[in-house]
Amino acid sequence: MRCGAGIDARMVDELAINIDPIQAGGRLTADAMKAVIAYGDGYSVCDNCRKPNRLDYITKPPIAEFHKDLASWLNMDSARVVPGARRGFQAVAHTYVKKGDPVLLTSLSHYTEFLAIEEAGGIACEIPANDRYIVTADAAATKIEEIKKQYNQAPVLLFIDHVDYQYGNVHDVRGIAKVAHQYDIPVLYNGAYTVGIIPVDGKSLGADFVVGSGHKSMAAPAPSGVLAATAERAGEVFRTTAITGDVTGRQFGIKEPEMMGCTLMGVTLVGMMASFPHVKERVKHFDRELENAGIVHEALLSIRGTKILSEFPRKHTLTRVDTTGSFDTIAQSHKKRGFFLSSELNEKGVTGIIPGATRIWKFNTYGMTREQATYLAKVFVSIAHENGLKTA
Amino acid sequence: MVFQAMYTLTDLRVLLRETAPLHEFDAERKAQVQRLLDNLERQVGSLKQEMLK
Repeated sequence: MRCGAGIDARMVDELAINIDPIQAGGRLTADAMKAVIAYGDGYSVCDNCRKPNRLDYITKPPIAEFHKDLASWLNMDSARVVPGARRGFQAVAHTYVKKGDPVLLTSLSHYTEFLAIEEAGGIACEIPANDRYIVTADAAATKIEEIKKQYNQAPVLLFIDHVDYQYGNVHDVRGIAKVAHQYDIPVLYNGAYTVGIIPVDGKSLGADFVVGSGHKSMAAPAPSGVLAATAERAGEVFRTTAITGDVTGRQFGIKEPEMMGCTLMGVTLVGMMASFPHVKERVKHFDRELENAGIVHEALLSIRGTKILSEFPRKHTLTRVDTTGSFDTIAQSHKKRGFFLSSELNEKGVTGIIPGATRIWKFNTYGMTREQATYLAKVFVSIAHENGLKTA
Repeated sequence: MVFQAMYTLTDLRVLLRETAPLHEFDAERKAQVQRLLDNLERQVGSLKQEMLK
């Protein structure tokens, strides 16, 4: 079935359990799907845009209220919706980083943080994770001192991912932010894997900025996200335009340059808004998600030779595993080589791991029902048995 | 009425997601599917009446 020339209808999540690490938290709620149906047209949220003509002032649909709720929910003072977390990184980096400035991030940071620094002309300085793939406050302090010696200035900004995309490990944001503030370094909390998944209290964590991803973790269409700031920083990153055209004398009211004016003007925003009540509720039940993940981890660990590379016990549902000693031994002689695992998973109704991966790979159990988690656990064990692997 | 019908189909779609890949419906889910399909039939009936009169 097609929904346009050459575009097949996508039925991935209707037909299979999807364990793609980046897709799990962005699956739409029923309400978001319904909002998408009604608001698919381009500037669909602008029907009732009135002066001062800015997205976050629109009251019908209740976009203004949504912005206030978002900020309050994150315990920050102001919030804007942005086209993905990366655009939040970009806005903050562009505000604070000048050419040649050192900027802190970590050895587990997402590539878009590097790009935001690069675009602003900054120098990326990584706080190294330890041998357990955890970034600590001590490592942050050491790195800042090294930077001060090397560049004769402290870093101008710190990016810290609460949960990193490589291991799904939880890092000591509060401790690291405390160290950064001792050097007056503003802290950007990257909540791409937390905002919409677990409760996030920005001020309590010591964040000057909280960035979240709508399409990764808030059950919203892509590209969507949130950038929230403290009152102290909001006036800087959300400053309003001061430009005037030299011929026309035109000015542009209260548009915000870092936001490039209005940001999400249609289906992405209403999708985010429609999911928001469900997202606020679901973060309170992350323990259930960890229980589901635990069922799957237990099954994987029962397959001899399988290791979990992420911190254990798990604190997040995104997990990195090493099956070099189990599934990869099958791949060496299987007629499908490394593709046997994704192929057999697909045959059993599981999708989302990289085709060909049998050594180190990631998956995410977020959003599954208990029945689905139990089924997934059985699938891994049955593939192991069918291919002669031993289980405990 | 078009939206109501599409929203009913959306609810059915979500049920398919929640039960993938086996789509085994317990008694409670079967009752839910029945209600949704009954609603859909009514909505399609109304559409026929309104649009083909």
